[in-house]
Amino acid sequence: MNLIGITINHNNSPIEIRESLHLSRNEIVEFIPLLKQVLSEGVVISTCNRTEIFGLPITYSLNTSSIVETLLRYKPVKETKPEFFHKYFSCGAVKHLFKVASGIDSLVIGDSQILGQVKDAFEISEDMGFTGPVFHRLFGTAIKVGKRAIKETAIGEGAVTVSYAAVQVVEKIFSGLDKKSALVIGAGETGELAAINLKDKGISKLTISNRSIERAENLAEKIHGEIIPFQFLNEHLHNFDIIISATSSENFIINYADVASAVKKRRGAPIVLMDIAVPRDIDPDVRKIDNVFYNDMDSLKIIVDQNLQKRRNEIPVVEKIIMEEMVGFFSWYNTLEVVPTIKSLRNFFDEIRNDELDKIKNKISEDDFSKIEDMTRRLIGRILHNPTVKLRELAENGNDIQQVTTKSIILKELFNLNSTNDNGKNIEEK
Amino acid sequence: MTQALYVINLLLPFAYLLTFLFYALDFFNEKNLFTNSKRIFLFITLLIHISYLLLRTIEFDHPPITNKFEIFSILAFAVSFSYFILELLTDVRGTGAFIILFALIFQVVSSLFIENNYIVPDVLRNRLLGLHVISALLGYSGITISAVYGLLFLVLYKNLKSSRFGLIFNRLPSLEILEKLSFNSLLIGFVLFTIAIIIGITWLPTAFPNFSYSDPKLIGTALVWIIYGAGILSKFLANWYGKKVILFSLTGFILAVLSLILTTTLATTFHSFY
Repeated sequence: MNLIGITINHNNSPIEIRESLHLSRNEIVEFIPLLKQVLSEGVVISTCNRTEIFGLPITYSLNTSSIVETLLRYKPVKETKPEFFHKYFSCGAVKHLFKVASGIDSLVIGDSQILGQVKDAFEISEDMGFTGPVFHRLFGTAIKVGKRAIKETAIGEGAVTVSYAAVQVVEKIFSGLDKKSALVIGAGETGELAAINLKDKGISKLTISNRSIERAENLAEKIHGEIIPFQFLNEHLHNFDIIISATSSENFIINYADVASAVKKRRGAPIVLMDIAVPRDIDPDVRKIDNVFYNDMDSLKIIVDQNLQKRRNEIPVVEKIIMEEMVGFFSWYNTLEVVPTIKSLRNFFDEIRNDELDKIKNKISEDDFSKIEDMTRRLIGRILHNPTVKLRELAENGNDIQQVTTKSIILKELFNLNSTNDNGKNIEEK
Repeated sequence: MTQALYVINLLLPFAYLLTFLFYALDFFNEKNLFTNSKRIFLFITLLIHISYLLLRTIEFDHPPITNKFEIFSILAFAVSFSYFILELLTDVRGTGAFIILFALIFQVVSSLFIENNYIVPDVLRNRLLGLHVISALLGYSGITISAVYGLLFLVLYKNLKSSRFGLIFNRLPSLEILEKLSFNSLLIGFVLFTIAIIIGITWLPTAFPNFSYSDPKLIGTALVWIIYGAGILSKFLANWYGKKVILFSLTGFILAVLSLILTTTLATTFHSFY
């Protein structure tokens, strides 16, 4: 198999290079016609952490430089080094693709987005006629590996970001978020992520508060939430079951007295405070108040680290799935070599049979002809039974593609199967 | 049949032990290997146990409530059966080990010391007494389960307050669910307790000539009932939440156990049959 895989990712190249070589969807669409000059089938996967090119070269050569040159011609980057481009071939390339699809090669192990990105990349190539039977099977299996990894292992389980860890803690206090109200203070990147996570978890009421009212309005519009003016924040604390704060304030914006007063107004109903800002926004002493659950970045980081370790522990299980699927893929791939050979061999014998039957068709009775026709069919069936079964078994069970190829070639040579007209028809005439 | 009863009596503690181990392993192992099988084990154990109780009733011609150790066996059954129903209704499967442990202890005590009584006072063959005892025992199992969930609530509450995210955090359901389980068990226990008290008050005076309303056991039970009743009312009327409700349930449970121990060991009462 002459599959090539070239990767620029977080393991082998700095972020500047990864950013420079990142290809948007439109750029991939523009880049594929250039790749078609050197590859017969191919897929380009590009995310913020990796750009990967998988392809089957037009020639049998496994020279990768033409692919790298094509990429650098399209996306010129000055300070590249050869070591930034990792190359994989054949079995190694398949294994690498499966690792990428399963998320074990991601910067955040078990990243759930990568499988969708692999699917999208394949669909772009498919739409542009850049995929054939091999890539259909290869990417079909890669997607299957990704799905099995999610379903059969815990590689994608647990929060691995602080804002998601905050939601995980909230879920240990409340049984469901569908009747709860939440306030997110700060409309920056972290606040937005926390708000989106809460929205995804089905929070009933979501409110945003931010120093700049415009940013609060923008985020509120995005998540279909409400806003509270920042200056009136403390007057409304008691209305919320969950408060997540992620501002860049230098001082506490929620003090002990504010929370104590809110709890009093809530008549002791639990309140969850998540301070995911550095420096902190909420006075940590609030944790001393009954039914107040307070967590800051440090405590949430404990959950993130635990979950990352759990995901790392799942890598061997995912690798086992990858190995199983690789065996399945290569068993299929090996049969690609033998199926046409078996077909040619059968055609060859059928042609001989038909020729010989034609010769006697008018010399014997219909009844006798029918008997001879049946007899020759059975005869050829029995002659070809063992070679067909053996060849198929070799392809399906054997991992040595070279052996399968050699035996196919010997068969083709012995019976001259490559020449369509030479089936020994003229021997008698000669 | 006595031989069969002897065998099942020996078998039951092992069945509870096995069920407890399955629940405990599932709690400590995060791979959820026994999520379904542990429930099947509990079901089989309950089937063996109910057969045992029925066989005893047939063989000895009276409900198995004639001595302390028969009562322990019924209590083991009531606790595990109530938990089984609760698990089916709520699908909260992570807390079984803590409840089954109680059933295991009750059954071990029962199996070790149980006596076979063919001759018992006539009053112990009375069906109303059977109903009175069984509803009281189910009531006790309800408040026991409520107390266990209350304890689990407090442990998780403490873990969350101090930001400890270990096994307890990972394996227990949310505080809100634990509170709900504790309160619902308490509510069911209270209703059954009330039934037991009503049967007792209406039937006991006719069955026992020395019946007295100032009997210590009656006073103790009435006190516990009033405390639980007041707590349930507070929850509904004053909107009590979380820790307050749980602490109340635990206090009620401790008082109920203390009242039971004190009135059956220290005080003289007509309300003692063994």
